[in-house]
Amino acid sequence: MIWMTWRQHRKQALFTVIGLTVLAALMVPTGLAMRNTMASTGLDECVRLALDSEKCNTASRQFSNEYSSLAFVGILFVILPLLIGLFWGAPLVAREVEHGTHRLVWTQGVSRRQWALVKVGFVGGATVAAAVVYGLGLSWWMTPLSHAGLSSRFSVLLFDMQGLVPVGYTFFAVALGIFAGAIWPKVLPAMAFTLVGFVGIRVALTVLARPNYLPASTRTYPVFGLASAPERDKYDWILAVGVRNPDGTLVVPNGTVECNQVVEGPGAPCGSEFGIEAGAYNWQLYQPAGRFWLFQGIETGIFVALAAVLLVLAVRAIRRIA
Amino acid sequence: MDIVVETDRLGKRYGRTWALQECSLHLPAGRVAALVGPNGAGKSTLLHLAVGLLRPDAGTVRVFDSAPYDNTTVLAEIGFVAQDTPLYRDFTAAELITMGAKLNRRWDAALARRRLAQLGIPPDRAVGTLSGGQRAQVALALALAKRPRLLLLDEPVARLDPLARREFLQSLMGSVAESGTTVLLSSHLLADLERVCDYLIVLHASRVQLAGGVDELVAEHKQLVGPRHGNDPVAGVAAVLRASHTDRQSTLLVRTNANIDDPRWTVHEVTLEDLILAYLAEGETQSSHEAWGVPA
Amino acid sequence: MIEFVLDGRSKVNTYMQLVQQVKQALRVGLLEPGDQLPKVRDVALALAINPNTVLKAYRELEIEGLAEGRPGVGTFVKRSLAGASLPNQAKLREDLVVWLHQAQAAGLTPEDITALMETTMRATLAENAVSGRPP
Repeated sequence: MIWMTWRQHRKQALFTVIGLTVLAALMVPTGLAMRNTMASTGLDECVRLALDSEKCNTASRQFSNEYSSLAFVGILFVILPLLIGLFWGAPLVAREVEHGTHRLVWTQGVSRRQWALVKVGFVGGATVAAAVVYGLGLSWWMTPLSHAGLSSRFSVLLFDMQGLVPVGYTFFAVALGIFAGAIWPKVLPAMAFTLVGFVGIRVALTVLARPNYLPASTRTYPVFGLASAPERDKYDWILAVGVRNPDGTLVVPNGTVECNQVVEGPGAPCGSEFGIEAGAYNWQLYQPAGRFWLFQGIETGIFVALAAVLLVLAVRAIRRIA
Repeated sequence: MDIVVETDRLGKRYGRTWALQECSLHLPAGRVAALVGPNGAGKSTLLHLAVGLLRPDAGTVRVFDSAPYDNTTVLAEIGFVAQDTPLYRDFTAAELITMGAKLNRRWDAALARRRLAQLGIPPDRAVGTLSGGQRAQVALALALAKRPRLLLLDEPVARLDPLARREFLQSLMGSVAESGTTVLLSSHLLADLERVCDYLIVLHASRVQLAGGVDELVAEHKQLVGPRHGNDPVAGVAAVLRASHTDRQSTLLVRTNANIDDPRWTVHEVTLEDLILAYLAEGETQSSHEAWGVPA
Repeated sequence: MIEFVLDGRSKVNTYMQLVQQVKQALRVGLLEPGDQLPKVRDVALALAINPNTVLKAYRELEIEGLAEGRPGVGTFVKRSLAGASLPNQAKLREDLVVWLHQAQAAGLTPEDITALMETTMRATLAENAVSGRPP
């Protein structure tokens, strides 16, 4: 059965390895170049010691001028799990049924359950291995970019590209593809189902669920007075900001107001055009940067659990195909 | 006599449509049985139930006295060639034989190689590039390499040209002679069947119309030609399958249960083909009347 | 060894055709006692027919005492049908030729001759069968 699985998928495996190699050939040199730049401009020093000097700011600007566009290359990796789900998962059962070969292989001396377990094990294992490689690889690649402070690695696309979650997404995409192929055993509809299902669940979880994995923290500081924004980690994931009056009503959504004068005095008081009253405060809802790996774990766990459910359903569906 | 396949009120449903129902029959060992019926009559469904690809929705099917669904012990005794002889098209014939060896406990690779060598089928070309006849032969060789006690073939020759069809049946009959395997093959082509089969199962509209040994069936059916016939019974006739009348004469296709001694009737023998067509036509009117909700 | 052929349009059963061909071969001396009949597998393979049909034909020949099966070896001819008739055939043929010329002279077409032969043959041989004389 293992020989059989390898023989059937070796071409696919070869293409996947070639694809990943090409990506590596692209990513490794740029990753090294970014590190070189950081070292030569002294930016890594700034980051490590959290310095805030003119020199550091220049270095940071220079770095972002040079590399900020590269961050978009990483978006490619957001769709990589989907591609693996489409081309590894969906055809796994669907192609057999479409070609009728399931009737050949399921009438040999191996039970369907065993067939399914070996197939899913092999394909699932291979894709997870690939996902671990590119997930970790991409984390390495992204480190300079996030260190340079270009964006929080908590921000939507950056979070999705690195760390553990690519493994969860890939596993889920493959499981969804296998499941789609088992309940709708035609390659193209199974692929379409996988595409729609994957994008739908990913978007839904990212938008609706992820900000609420843990109760968000709140930070407040007064609008008036010279005491400005408190010290904060620039990698925090800010969910919402605004200005609230002392009674709690939101007067400035999506904005921050800082006034260094008091309300009394000549002229219009600072912020009165927004309806800000005395005692108003700035308000932020955020997930602290320290929760990055926790959130990665939660999201990966959700997708792995979904994948497991789909695989169980797929194996059951396989037993009903004839 | 040993019974290889036995079904009792077997039924299979897809959604609300019954693909097979009330199917009770038995196939004795050592026979070459034809499963005959138009497309969609339930032939493939019956074969898939027998090879354990499908689970019955009603009744039972037993092969070598075990339920075949998801049963690898029974599966080891069954060689199956599915409709359109599906094969992994990018595998070579030699690789397919290796595959069989990996997937089966009992596997006679030498037998398969010998057969394919005799037929001149190249071992190192992807089977997708072979002709339909050659692919069918590869599929048959794979089924036979299991050394099965029962061989199930789903429309094995339907898509083949006459020469390939002939060659396929030759190899099949040659190997049946060697191994004594029981065979159940479905077909909607009636030619060739008379030579190849000695047992007949006629399916129509998901029901069994007729089942039995070919010689016995042919012997007990007769065509009678005689004077214009009303509905009065003829001695020795168990059932009238088909009747056509002119103003003076009646021609009846009948199933007999005794000799027809009535001198008014001339008795003609029937061929297997006449017989099958008569039963298929009867099934046709039956199901049509059922569909229209009027008595037949 | 003989080779079987099948007449696809014949109404005669496949197994009967095989029996008749063996008998024909025995009559004309193509097969003699001790000769082996083709192996069941070879016949099934060559003609694409059910091996049970071949077995049935051979069993029929055994019942008629014309052949015998030797387990594991094959089926062999036991008795000939050529018998005494073979040497006589030349003489009979000569007589028939003379008679045919007479019939032609009498104005019979080939179809007339065949019809006359068949009806006479059926009547005469049926008589023999009833009176129990050997054919």
